[in-house]
Amino acid sequence: MADAVLSVEAVSKRFGGLRALQDVSFQVRPGEVFGVIGPNGAGKTTLFSILVGANRPTSGAVRFQGERIDGLPTARVVARGLVRTHQIVRPFREMTVRENVAVGAAFGRGRRRGSEAADRVQTLLERTGLALRAEVLAGTLTIGELKRLEIARALATEPAVLCLDEVMGGLNPSEIRDTMEFVRTLRDFSVTVLIIEHHIHAVVGVSDRILVLNFGEKIAEGPPGEVVRDPLVVSAYLGSEIPAGPDPGTP
Amino acid sequence: MTRRLRLALIGIAVGLAVFQAAPHLLERGTVNDLWNVAFAIVLASAWNILGGFAGQVSIGYSAFLGIGAYTTALLSLRGVDPWLTLPLGAVLGAAASWIIGLPAFRLRGPYFTIATIGVSEAVRVIASGVSFTGGSSGVRMPPGTYNFERNYVAIGLLAAAAVAISAVIRDLPLGRALSAVRQDVDAAEALGVPSTRVKLIAHAISAALVALACGLFAMNFQYIAPGSVFDFRLSLSIVLMPIVGGVGTIAGPILGAVIFSYLQIKLLSMPALRDSYLFLYGGLLMLVMLFEPRGLVGLWSRLRRAIGSMAGQKAIPHG
Repeated sequence: MADAVLSVEAVSKRFGGLRALQDVSFQVRPGEVFGVIGPNGAGKTTLFSILVGANRPTSGAVRFQGERIDGLPTARVVARGLVRTHQIVRPFREMTVRENVAVGAAFGRGRRRGSEAADRVQTLLERTGLALRAEVLAGTLTIGELKRLEIARALATEPAVLCLDEVMGGLNPSEIRDTMEFVRTLRDFSVTVLIIEHHIHAVVGVSDRILVLNFGEKIAEGPPGEVVRDPLVVSAYLGSEIPAGPDPGTP
Repeated sequence: MTRRLRLALIGIAVGLAVFQAAPHLLERGTVNDLWNVAFAIVLASAWNILGGFAGQVSIGYSAFLGIGAYTTALLSLRGVDPWLTLPLGAVLGAAASWIIGLPAFRLRGPYFTIATIGVSEAVRVIASGVSFTGGSSGVRMPPGTYNFERNYVAIGLLAAAAVAISAVIRDLPLGRALSAVRQDVDAAEALGVPSTRVKLIAHAISAALVALACGLFAMNFQYIAPGSVFDFRLSLSIVLMPIVGGVGTIAGPILGAVIFSYLQIKLLSMPALRDSYLFLYGGLLMLVMLFEPRGLVGLWSRLRRAIGSMAGQKAIPHG
């Protein structure tokens, strides 16, 4: 697929004798929301850390906009336009919310300065509903606000691809609905979204296509409606039918 | 320009004016002491750029002290105007900081600090061992290079510059990046902050300032030896001044430098207590760590809040 913005080619990762990822390949098209799901320990987080350069794959390649990025330092990957959020939020607690977002604006792909940076930061604070909390220290935010701050900071780097790592974990059902709604609007930022989520209904609800990992291997890929009926996927999730309707989600 | 930067720059200008007026008003002994205070302010503020803003606690600054002092002394002995040696000392100091930083910044937290101790000891041993530095007996500056009046003006300007540079950096994206690195280096990298590069930049700026100050030190004291400029206790004082005053702030290193210089002057005049200063410094450090990790500046803002809330309580019945 020539027009893929992100292409993962036969990536494997071994930690000693443990095979965390085995020959995983997939491609993400510009502008889509691409979901990655799988039970605990399926290799989702390992996959993410390989994409953003924190981890080097044992074999295989990651291409971003046609160029190899596997093994590059994280900051260089971000400068090219691929950024991630953290499952466990990592705010700069002694900075204000606004300053947190400003770090992303100053050092990401955009490298904005002065009023241009300030405008972008303000826009993102408004879009993520943090404008009223802009001047408080990030350490005082609630968990829901911290998750939004992670997204706002990552968007401030002006990514082409935004990787969301379990942004809905630990949120209550109404916050999950809000976050899903927000993810849908991310297309307005002309951002491609890669979303990893334990919370399967959220992913099914927002994704154009879904990849399913189990024990480090790809077991299914396709539109959400088909994937959730795939017998392999169903058996991977405790061998039961995937329950209908939103649940609060497991942490 | 932010309001806090404008305030800081006004404060620096006032401080500099007072400092430069002092020789006309005070006796020579006191003016000498003021030279030492300004020297300490340069060291403390410079260290704070890396140690305070970026949280990289280095105990290896004696390397830059030595480079600045020896560059000036050795070149002056070969007939170079000592004032012209200062910029070269600064460049060599910055270059050394790069060489030390490249491997050392791969280490995190206490491991970085331990590595810097090793570096400073290595530099001291080399300086005492090789012949061109005069070995352990040191170097004397050539006659005719002593000019206290000019040196006094210069150290005052340098101290003002060191504080101003800190205040400006804090408000630049660089300052924000250093702060991000201090708080969570992985999260900073994940937002595109090239952590090693910003640490190297901070290290270089701070090393250059320290080397400049030590060039002036060599000219003012006319004699340098490994025992004086590479003294581990001096390396330690550089760390303690900003920590006691308020690490990561602009005013903290200045406060710390004033207190430490005062203590040193007082203690030197009392032979019985001469060698007790490490004991005193250690005690101060423990007090700060236990009760107010943000040092005197932290104590001050806590006090101001307490007074503010008392005043607020009084105001309520009237309002």
